[in-house]
Amino acid sequence: MAGKPIVEFERITKRFPGILALNEVSVAIQSGSCHGLVGENGAGKSTLGKILAGIYPYDSGRLLVDGKPVRFSSPLDALKAGIGIVHQELAFCENMTVAENLCLEHLPSYGPFVSRQKMIDRAKKLLAAIDADIDVRLLVGQLPISQQQIIQIAAAVGRGARVIIFDEPTSSLSQLEAERLFALIKRLQGQGVTSIYVSHRLPELFALCDTMTVLRDGRHVATKPTAELDENSLVEMMIGRRLEEYFPTYLEAEPGEEMLRVENFSSPGKFKDISFSLKAGEILGLAGLVGAGRTEIAQALFGLDNMASGRVTVAGKQVRIDSPSKAIKLGLGLVPEDRKRHGLVLSMSACSNMTLPILHRLSRFGWIRNRAERSLADTFFQRMKVRAPGVDALIAGLSGGNQQKVVLAKWLSAQCRILILDEPTRGVDVGAKAEIHALIDQLAREGAAVLLISSELPEVLNLSTRVLVLRHGKIVGELPRNQADQETVMRLMAGIGSAQMADSAASKPELQ
Amino acid sequence: MPVSKRNTSSSRPIRSILLSQQTGLLLVIAALGAVLTLCANKTVGGEQVNTFFNPSTLLQTATDASLFAIMAVGATVVIISGGIDLSVGSIYALAGVTMAMVLRSLGEMSPEMTVLAGLTVALGVGLLSGLVNGALVVGLRVHPFIITLGAMWVLRGIAFVTSKAESILVPSSLTETVKASLGLGETLSPIPMLTMFFVTLLGAIFLSKMVVGRHIFALGGNVEASRYAGLRLGRVQIAVFAVAGLTAGIAAFIGSSYYGAASCADATGYELYVIASAVVGGASLQGGKGSAVSAMLGALLITLIRQSITTLELNQNYEWIIIGCAIIIAVVLDQASSRLTAKRLAQSASDNKLDDTPSPEGAKTAV
Repeated sequence: MAGKPIVEFERITKRFPGILALNEVSVAIQSGSCHGLVGENGAGKSTLGKILAGIYPYDSGRLLVDGKPVRFSSPLDALKAGIGIVHQELAFCENMTVAENLCLEHLPSYGPFVSRQKMIDRAKKLLAAIDADIDVRLLVGQLPISQQQIIQIAAAVGRGARVIIFDEPTSSLSQLEAERLFALIKRLQGQGVTSIYVSHRLPELFALCDTMTVLRDGRHVATKPTAELDENSLVEMMIGRRLEEYFPTYLEAEPGEEMLRVENFSSPGKFKDISFSLKAGEILGLAGLVGAGRTEIAQALFGLDNMASGRVTVAGKQVRIDSPSKAIKLGLGLVPEDRKRHGLVLSMSACSNMTLPILHRLSRFGWIRNRAERSLADTFFQRMKVRAPGVDALIAGLSGGNQQKVVLAKWLSAQCRILILDEPTRGVDVGAKAEIHALIDQLAREGAAVLLISSELPEVLNLSTRVLVLRHGKIVGELPRNQADQETVMRLMAGIGSAQMADSAASKPELQ
Repeated sequence: MPVSKRNTSSSRPIRSILLSQQTGLLLVIAALGAVLTLCANKTVGGEQVNTFFNPSTLLQTATDASLFAIMAVGATVVIISGGIDLSVGSIYALAGVTMAMVLRSLGEMSPEMTVLAGLTVALGVGLLSGLVNGALVVGLRVHPFIITLGAMWVLRGIAFVTSKAESILVPSSLTETVKASLGLGETLSPIPMLTMFFVTLLGAIFLSKMVVGRHIFALGGNVEASRYAGLRLGRVQIAVFAVAGLTAGIAAFIGSSYYGAASCADATGYELYVIASAVVGGASLQGGKGSAVSAMLGALLITLIRQSITTLELNQNYEWIIIGCAIIIAVVLDQASSRLTAKRLAQSASDNKLDDTPSPEGAKTAV
């Protein structure tokens, strides 16, 4: 398996506004290997991948491909040298078909006219080369992200990519879709394609990679064969300290009074007949595959779905929540799944973001009381351990974990009693993740009612007092904590009881 | 104690961006003024005169700028919210014409009453038109560009029909009030300029100190996140257009009084000068960015460029070409300078970071 290095980074340095993203990083990637790039968010792993893919230029150092120094000025440049990237933000033209996207660089034509048939044939051939079966006449925007990724892979392979960088490919895939992606990566490896796998999901890395490179704060920490590593040592290298506990210890406590009751809650095409009750001091986990309706339920509860119907009772009173402002008045808070789109105004400061929903409480006759606002922000930033240059720092300059803490602080400072957390640790580094877990636990102990949605099963299973499992918009199971284990929940989520499923679950290393 | 150090290093860049943007505009204005002053030194009949740097010309330039600047403050508020208002020129005309007609029908009154009535009518019509714009944008869920494009013609049409296309004289007491010299000398009238400063100040306070102002920035920065934060977006949008309409009403009062008459053809094409002023002042058409003071400076710069055509005795026919180029150059320079500032900041920030690398332990203890 070990060949000569196909890609070598030599003392690569890259600066971004406010950050030294990479500090003299040197790594060699062996031809034909699957190389994991591991690190917390902000460690520089994605940046390194994007430099290789020609998305970012590097400031100093040398980048060698096949032993020859290169400097790519665009992703197309990199692709010509045989390097492709599968990357969520590297978008397609969503209004065009799969075939058009796959052939966009060089559309087959008769004179000035596009030849539709040739285009479709070529696209089919590209997809067939990686054993993918997608209707090339569909619009890319209609496809799920998992299939869009496959199209990216087909495009890269079809243009002769020998190295493919996978940048956090599973962050919005369901478990099953991820499994399919892994199988594809292994097949590509069999065809001699070198993979560089950027992720902070340890089980995936251990399942896929033969070598791993750990980065921390833009510096190279270690490159080792996977066989010499285990999860604990890897996590220690990633965060640079011994990991004492992943999740807060669970304390059995009597739940308090009922805070939220939902009966026959439905929204056409999204979810149906959802009923549950949530008590003070409880953390109710909502598990389900992507598309099972978890986020949709959260949004509907928060007044963001005007098609939703059913009985919602908050603290004993039946209510109609038709807008977020109504929800907030009733004491609900929502930490949304997509932080940058729904959670933050990136052009404003951290403080302004935190106080946005409660500005009227911090004002007199429409005038903002600056001192009250700042002291509230100071209090919560300290309590949440937000690592920021100051409360006035632009939110866009903070790391994912700190941004998420600001989003949480927003609802805590609004004194929400019912918190809906939709993927609260997505895109958050390991250290901040543990802090957020501890905080969720503490909030529940202080009497908040928490509805926790997460695609990471260990998170749901370890934090929740009860777990609701959703499939296709319906509740398919409700498990108390002691019965909710990874295998049972996963079977319910996927709607299958096959041994195969259980095997694949068991073969994945446990996160704890 | 690392906190205090970081505190100073972080708030400085933010402030310096704002400062550099406005000082940059001020510098350009000052430089253009200096060039005009140098070129305008002339000898007329053996006497040294400067046809630009004299109180009367300077004040006249400020007066010319004031109408744009007052409306540009409103336009900047709309642009920060992510919208656009093409109807302010027509609101100006409607407000001016209505004011003149109401005052004419009221007949002879004391000067104070005339001013009060005129102000009420002009500002009222402006505010009302803005509210209608806002209500239509929110109620019909149509992009502000379309609504205000329609309003631009409808409102001017109403002004045309009601005034029967006549130019209507404004009572002389209004003109006397707006042209008052305030003891500066016979030919000088600083009221339009002072109003411009006053409106800019109000706009700046509105945007930075009031809850609505913050909500406007949030709306322009990220509509979805603002909705998720429970903001009443409809109200904010209506407020934004109300402010724009109000500033058009103020401008109409000052303008119609100053020139002594109002007609339905007044302020034709002003909406574009006004938007240009806001944009030259650094407002981003994508929303979330802008400032009242910068919008005023933008209006001053554009007026100064128009003035320079007269002062430098260039061919008047080239005015549009020169202004068009100037707007594009101004915006390109503004973008280049903010990129440069960002780069410099990045450099210094990452230098800081080298000797103060945060670690997970740091996260636990610091802050």
